[in-house]
Amino acid sequence: MVNLNVADIQGFVLRGYNFPFARYLLLELEGPEKGRDFIGRIIPHITTGQRWENKPPSTVNIAFTHKGLARLGLPDATLLSFPAEFFQGMKGRKEILCDTGRNASENWDEVWRNDVVHVWLGVHALTPEALEERCAEMDGIMQGTGGAHLRQAQDAKAVFIDNKPSSKEHFGYTDGFGNPDFEGADRHSQPGQGKLTKEGDWVPLATGEFVLGYPDEAGELPVAPVPHLLANNGSFMVYRKLHENVATFRDYLEEQSRHYAGGKEKLAAKFVGRWRDGTPVELSPDAPDPAIAADPKRNVNFTFGRDLDGVHCPIGAHVRRVNPRDSAGFHGLLVNRRRISRRGLPYGEYVPEAEPVSDKDDRGVIFMVLNSSIFRQFEFVHQQWIEYGNDAHQGSDKDLMLGNHDGRGKFMIQGSTDPRNPPFVCARLPQFVELRGGDYFFMPSLTALRLIADNSVDPR
Amino acid sequence: MPNQSGNVYGLTILSPIINGAAGDISHDCAIRDYLAGLPRDHRSLFAKVSSTHLARLVVMDDVVFVGTPAREEHLQSKYLVFETNFDGDLDTYLERMAREAPEEVNAVWQHCVGYPGVKDPAAFAAYMKKCQIETTYFFADVNNKTVQQTLRALKVQSGVAHFIEVNQGKSPSEIQAAFRQFLEKVRHAPEPLAGEYEGHPHLPARGEGASQRTDPLAEESEGHHG
Repeated sequence: MVNLNVADIQGFVLRGYNFPFARYLLLELEGPEKGRDFIGRIIPHITTGQRWENKPPSTVNIAFTHKGLARLGLPDATLLSFPAEFFQGMKGRKEILCDTGRNASENWDEVWRNDVVHVWLGVHALTPEALEERCAEMDGIMQGTGGAHLRQAQDAKAVFIDNKPSSKEHFGYTDGFGNPDFEGADRHSQPGQGKLTKEGDWVPLATGEFVLGYPDEAGELPVAPVPHLLANNGSFMVYRKLHENVATFRDYLEEQSRHYAGGKEKLAAKFVGRWRDGTPVELSPDAPDPAIAADPKRNVNFTFGRDLDGVHCPIGAHVRRVNPRDSAGFHGLLVNRRRISRRGLPYGEYVPEAEPVSDKDDRGVIFMVLNSSIFRQFEFVHQQWIEYGNDAHQGSDKDLMLGNHDGRGKFMIQGSTDPRNPPFVCARLPQFVELRGGDYFFMPSLTALRLIADNSVDPR
Repeated sequence: MPNQSGNVYGLTILSPIINGAAGDISHDCAIRDYLAGLPRDHRSLFAKVSSTHLARLVVMDDVVFVGTPAREEHLQSKYLVFETNFDGDLDTYLERMAREAPEEVNAVWQHCVGYPGVKDPAAFAAYMKKCQIETTYFFADVNNKTVQQTLRALKVQSGVAHFIEVNQGKSPSEIQAAFRQFLEKVRHAPEPLAGEYEGHPHLPARGEGASQRTDPLAEESEGHHG
């Protein structure tokens, strides 16, 4: 059993906070000395993985791009020891990620086009007031040290329905189920969240899949920079701002459902593998079941082994692509090294189904990933399972929701001979989601932050 | 049984490369240069030998001992590695190589020790068999269908998807009529050419060229050459 030093690990690595308000402060660092001064002053504010007696009103976490670490004056021997994809940054990985066409960096927000983001300072809060208060505090530290300049503040907040924060995103799906469970993470374990055993039970994944310095699923230490003290208890973070074309999505769903005998909500459920209320299609193929959706013992607890033909959940449905569970055989062994821990919140105003909506409004999801190897985990999932379909036996078909379609894509719903569950092909897929920017970040431990602030990172 | 997986034969050849130079370039470099310039599409030499599912030509410089305690050991020469999975039996395949791609085969193997040329197909076959080692791993996509069956199935599959796309929701009689037409088209579709199918890249679609789908049985056929 892994005993994690949770006081040394940033809380954001270990858990999503489920706070309804967030602001992601995208900072450019001044030179090394002032930058280090800024880090030193931020450290006491960083939220660690320690268990809370009561939820604090707000949290603060910090992560760096490779350019940011270079700006802080880390030794070359350390900078050169990071994985190549982190050094290149997300923009440099466009070929692998298929970030081309409408997703190309020319179409990103200015802050991401100009390579000025050195630091991601994530502030999450329970109320708008707490958010403003904490951000003002951060601003005070920036001004006081002159070590960092705010280049953009990206606000995000939960979709509020009946004045209550929900887990919905703008297309209307309940999101954020089922982050992988790993050893040592101090939280309630849900069946369906870790990895499958030969006996069909769910157990936590190896810590090293998500936190550096611990053995991973191959029994190896994940690739990490030197010195170990800088790497251990850290993690790598992917940040992607995903614009949602809500009008396009609603029109497409409406138009396609006119030809689909299962009806509109069933079609929406087939797209994702969950009904829009979150009920897994695999567990309740004919209708959403709020009791299942709300039950943590059931809402991520399913496999696809008895549905290899995709009769219930299409083989190319979103949740089945990005976490195939036992679909690929070998008791899920092929999947265990490709898991990612997701964070995120919607941004922009939610527009209820009945009201008019435009693609042009600034609206979408700030999608973040934590994993030990961006290359092996996030990039693999994105390249092979989102932007390609061979592993799911779907040829070159891409993920309906996230794929870079450009009007050419198609999505197969396998169905059955039941007239209410017919096979169906969704063709000429428009682009529902567009990338508006982002980058790859390193989220260091508290120890590592102190090393950086003290200018004592020593790779020898 | 080694070398055989259903109807598919797996051939692995290790041919020692001549030490030293052919003129001012060493034999191994000459092979690399030649291989680097070979086309990989329908003009590939393995499209000529059309029963080939997958083939690979590699220059193996040396082997590096990985383990502990470290040990220095070397091959006596560099080797040309030739791996291929194909339909039918070995003799027919070697004969086809000699007959249908003699220039390419000569250009590669002329740099190998003891290569007799292809003029005498029996001598060529004997040479290749002498260099053969057992094959126990096959190309993962080999599924006991011939290359032709596989190419045709891929075309039919994308044709069916396109058929459903344009006809779903129509009345049963309309669908039936359209399906009869579609079936006729499938029956009379020309035999697919080896290496011509573009809609199934080995890598995820990249850039514009690769993202073009091939619907060879569809009305608006695109991105398809042959």
